[in-house]
Amino acid sequence: MDIEAYLRRDYVTNLIKEGKRLDNRKFDEYRKLEINKGYVGEKADGSAYVSLGDTKVLVGISMDVGEPYPDAPTSGVMTVNAELRPMASPHFEAGPPGEEATELARVVDRGIRESGAIDTEKLFIEEDKVWVVFVDIHVLDHYGNMIDASGIGAIAALLDAKIPKYEDNKIIRGEHTVKLPVTCTPIPCTTAKIADCVIVDPDMDEEYAMDSRLTVATTDTINAMQKGGQGTLREEEVLDAIDLSFKCAKDIRRLVEGN
Amino acid sequence: MLHIKDREIVIPGQLMGDNIRHDINCFHEKDKVYSSVHGMVRVEDNYVKIIPSTGWYMPKEGDLIIGVITEVLTGWWAVDIRVPNICSLRGEEMTRDPLNVDLSQYFNVGDVISAKILEVDEVNACHLTRPWKLEGGITVNVNPKRVPRVVGKKRSMLNIIKEKTGSKIIVGQNGWIWVKEGKTELAIRTIRKIEKEAQTHGLTDRITEMLEREVGK
Amino acid sequence: MEKPDMELIKDGKRLDGRRPDELREIKIEVGVLKRATGSAYVEWGKNKVLAAVYGPRELHPKFLRNPTKAVLRCIYNLAPFSVEDRKRPGPDRRSVEISKVSAEALSSVVMLERYPNAGIDVYIEILQADAGTRCVGLTAASVALADAGIPMKDIVAACAAGKISGEIVLDLMKEEDNYGESDLPIAVMSRKKDVVLLQMDGKLTREEFKKAYELAVNGATQVYEIQKAALLKSVNDVKIEG
Repeated sequence: MDIEAYLRRDYVTNLIKEGKRLDNRKFDEYRKLEINKGYVGEKADGSAYVSLGDTKVLVGISMDVGEPYPDAPTSGVMTVNAELRPMASPHFEAGPPGEEATELARVVDRGIRESGAIDTEKLFIEEDKVWVVFVDIHVLDHYGNMIDASGIGAIAALLDAKIPKYEDNKIIRGEHTVKLPVTCTPIPCTTAKIADCVIVDPDMDEEYAMDSRLTVATTDTINAMQKGGQGTLREEEVLDAIDLSFKCAKDIRRLVEGN
Repeated sequence: MLHIKDREIVIPGQLMGDNIRHDINCFHEKDKVYSSVHGMVRVEDNYVKIIPSTGWYMPKEGDLIIGVITEVLTGWWAVDIRVPNICSLRGEEMTRDPLNVDLSQYFNVGDVISAKILEVDEVNACHLTRPWKLEGGITVNVNPKRVPRVVGKKRSMLNIIKEKTGSKIIVGQNGWIWVKEGKTELAIRTIRKIEKEAQTHGLTDRITEMLEREVGK
Repeated sequence: MEKPDMELIKDGKRLDGRRPDELREIKIEVGVLKRATGSAYVEWGKNKVLAAVYGPRELHPKFLRNPTKAVLRCIYNLAPFSVEDRKRPGPDRRSVEISKVSAEALSSVVMLERYPNAGIDVYIEILQADAGTRCVGLTAASVALADAGIPMKDIVAACAAGKISGEIVLDLMKEEDNYGESDLPIAVMSRKKDVVLLQMDGKLTREEFKKAYELAVNGATQVYEIQKAALLKSVNDVKIEG
């Protein structure tokens, strides 16, 4: 139990009822989002450091050569892995990924995979050899809404990624040929339901107070959705959340595609 | 002999002086006295003390603290007061026959209480006394080492905040502060500001000015 | 190990233009994380390292508790993307070993007896690695401990020296580490210059070791000055609003 968030829970709920939030944000307002592409650019093939308010996530891309899946022999492969590093919260522990990390990785994975953001056909090298794109999410400071911070970080890092040079069956590290082919920018947006109100980008206090949350990853269509939390959602709340997600994703997308 | 000046910032292991008296935040090797924490030095004659910039709460007898009931046990409650060790409240504080009544009728899991520290034993386990249930309101956390600043000399800072915001405020020495009624948001914002600027000059004046401006709006 | 097929020192200058006794550029920021009790971020050449401290807090599992003093634990972790060939996530033998020696090094300065039964957790995350990460990690961790307000007898500063192309140099970078002949990372208590961590691999004669050791201690002293400046700055830099 997170005692400090628990202590603020009722207060957060009551504020929301009055139409206010603890940090003076509007219901459809994100915390300050900063994206720093190429943060660890001297080693990783692509990277992005995202700070969403006090939540901080670093995503790194590593490219490797591997075998394609038998059912898609000419397509490259992407895997997403998330680690909730113990430095990010007093409640995270070292060790293999738990439920929360696995869910996080899979939600981010679906958003990117289902939108077809990576043009996997272009990652074909020769028979039985394709590029494998490793997306590694490192949550460094957890103050709520890891999913959005991670999903934004993942797509920003992919946009930053370059394919290494490949000659004589060897990867030449540190030299790159072309950018990773990315066709669109899926953006996840998480809304939380507190006291029957829908708000975007819950921070940690609000995550503690929320009944349920809904993540919607969008391009020009919806690409992935994930409901979390033990509460329920009504249809109009889901639709509300989708509208909000499309609306918020626009600004975020501009930021992700820029710089 | 002193090697530092009043109000100087020091880091762990820094030489403070020879043959001087010191507080718990310093240590000595033979005649030499060194600092053990990161903070600001205060010098009084031949005595040095350090006000740490951050740090955890160390329970002290007689401190007023705020805690949360985490478990109702046979004859006692377990309380979380932000210390690494066990903290207990005896059932006798509320009833004469704690072993045969349901203690949860007084305090249940999740209830916020204020209490005084009765005793700290040799392994830092705490025992509380004079519990008081805090209903409603909001509890905010500040770094325990900045609590003295929030209270101020002779409670001056706290009285200003209470007066200007009309809030009820209880300051726990463990860094949890309970605020209810009045302009709670303003009170919280003020406390946060004090926490952030704890080691600056003229803070009381700036806070008074800010509160007057905000209340006048 | 591969033979040195490239000239690592030319006209008294190294590949990146440094003199043999010159450190890479070091930047330290204090208090960069919100949740942690104390934290620090260090950029050291191409190394980028975060350190966070939690505690003193209740120690789990219970059997690890020590009724006479706190237990300091350390986890050193290399991010998968921190090196050119992706590292598999999770602890490997190397990081387990570094975690252990780092925890021991830090335990020697922290006043653990002040917090019986408690635990202090130190997390070191290598976000980008370019040789000498354990030194960078320790340097960051000890600043994070000071930022957490945990009482210490001294600050730990770390630095490595090594031998490349037959010459003893300070603070090896990746290429020098790969093609060099030996590496000697050390960490010292800054005031007394007592060593709290020492590892060595490669080949060094006694004279060479002595020279490398002195060079590394000298490097650590420079590192200490940077740590000190960063900690003082973190207090003086509080912005006054309104």
